[in-house]
Amino acid sequence: MLGVSLIVFSLLSLLPGSAALAILGPGATNAQVAHLSQQLGLNQPFVERYLIWVGHAITGNLGTSLLTNQPVIAEIEQRLPVSFEIMVISYILSLGTAIPVAILAARRPRGIADSINRLFSTVALSVPGFVTALLLILVFSVKLGLLPTEGFVPLAHGLVPNVKSLILPSASVSVGLFANYSRILRSDMIDQLRNEDYVLTARAKGIGQWRILFLHVAKNSLFPLITVVGTNFGYLIGGVVVVENVFGLPGMGQLMQYSILNRDYTVVQGEVILIAVAVILMNLVTDLAYIFLDPRVRYGATGN
Amino acid sequence: MALPVTDNLAQTEPAEATLPFWARSHFRMRRSALALYIPLGALILLVVACFFGPWILHLPPASFANIANSNLPLGSPGHLLGTDQLGNDMLSRTLVGGRVSMVVGFGATLVGFVIGTSIGVVAGYFGGAVETVLMRILDMVLAFPSLILAMTLVVFLGPSERNEIIAISFFAIPNYARLSRAATLKIREREYVLVGRVIGAGPRHIMIRHVFSNVLPSLLTIVPLTVAVAMIIEATLSFLGLGVRPPTPSWGNMIAQGQATMSIAPQDIIIPAVGLFLTVLFLNLTAEQWRLRISQ
Repeated sequence: MLGVSLIVFSLLSLLPGSAALAILGPGATNAQVAHLSQQLGLNQPFVERYLIWVGHAITGNLGTSLLTNQPVIAEIEQRLPVSFEIMVISYILSLGTAIPVAILAARRPRGIADSINRLFSTVALSVPGFVTALLLILVFSVKLGLLPTEGFVPLAHGLVPNVKSLILPSASVSVGLFANYSRILRSDMIDQLRNEDYVLTARAKGIGQWRILFLHVAKNSLFPLITVVGTNFGYLIGGVVVVENVFGLPGMGQLMQYSILNRDYTVVQGEVILIAVAVILMNLVTDLAYIFLDPRVRYGATGN
Repeated sequence: MALPVTDNLAQTEPAEATLPFWARSHFRMRRSALALYIPLGALILLVVACFFGPWILHLPPASFANIANSNLPLGSPGHLLGTDQLGNDMLSRTLVGGRVSMVVGFGATLVGFVIGTSIGVVAGYFGGAVETVLMRILDMVLAFPSLILAMTLVVFLGPSERNEIIAISFFAIPNYARLSRAATLKIREREYVLVGRVIGAGPRHIMIRHVFSNVLPSLLTIVPLTVAVAMIIEATLSFLGLGVRPPTPSWGNMIAQGQATMSIAPQDIIIPAVGLFLTVLFLNLTAEQWRLRISQ
């Protein structure tokens, strides 16, 4: 994690164009720029600035924004709930559709449900998130007029308007996730149906195909699904960053793009490091979920 | 783990006669060859169209057109796909815009492939501390989502086609490094490597002639997938205004430009989106069929 922080910091300190110049605007004199750089501590040696930054970051102080003078952490806190909500809705939508669809598809490989799903997920994986978002806006907002094109309604104004303002962004993120999830789950379930002894046992006992699929195979196939959910977390974050910019939602992604374009690099630093930490934590949670759910992993080191 | 039970296989595989016609075996045989060559051919066609199309068809230039011709509908005389809000010919812009996506997609993959594979082969061949250090550094890179990494890098480097290639290549490096390292670990133990060492060949010769040439085939099958992802990242960067800037067209910035007039001229975003979609789709299909062929 320290290495990650070093990469982020060194990268952004080397940004072309000085932050001081960005704050003062193009009309500033050299003396003004030098004075502000001094004030912001931009003239100190690189190693010193890095160590000070890491020291603060550990205690939750990510510095202050160069543009607004607000603490970075406060800026992020303000934006985090929106992005978090999009992520939660995306997970509900993508997992809620992928699991039943994968079960249907696995029941009859190369059957109708399977073929349709394969076609859909091949197409879905070839469309970037922002294109999906624009197509959804075109259909649901411009043509049908059902949902808002952009803007965010906070939860305080009622659950329905809130979810309505976030459903299209979440749906655009979910399409790609759905394709990944349903593919993995389907192929693992088919594999289990073919090769696992417990399926043979269940069949011998006369248990029906549906029951085997739902109660036995689906449960076991959750493991590869958990892995994919974990490894796709970064993809999800990327998707959220993009759709927030398409729909004009005041989340982390919009803050990120705004800070990048305005060279507010303390904010970019803070945000990128938080994202990297979140990805690392997510991987850890995935590994822990395995240990918690699968006794074979828990006893694997000493067993056999 | 259970052994594969052959009887069981027959049970879950539906009987031939119950399968829909497109899944029956005689059809499948012919299909498997076509399934590879159709997307591959379409891909080549798209590349040729983007690079030579405007020249062969004598299309008007992609930017700086007469603004009096703005927002012409589809099928206007002289402008088959109409014009955008600045009066530029859409067909010409779409084809020229595709070049950016293709060059960046392929370029980033090439850079990522060369650097990643070199790191992987060196790490796998030498092992020990070299391996630990190299793989740890790559683990750090993997902690960043590919898009976030590319966004940050491209700002650091400045928006241009060359810098986009460098920024996007970073996501591919760890993938190729991991795969080539795993393959190298196996090949390192082979007799011909030992023979090479016995006759006094240096590590550089062995790595290039014996290890790399045997790692290569398994890595090549994922190249189209990497190109596809790189193209999607490129389009996203351009869309967010962090990639190639107008007036130079790219599929991403054309879509961003079209977003403003989406309700009156949806074709301005749909046409470049279709170009991007088809290219990525054919890349994905080619990769899938190629992998199927090799595993058979």
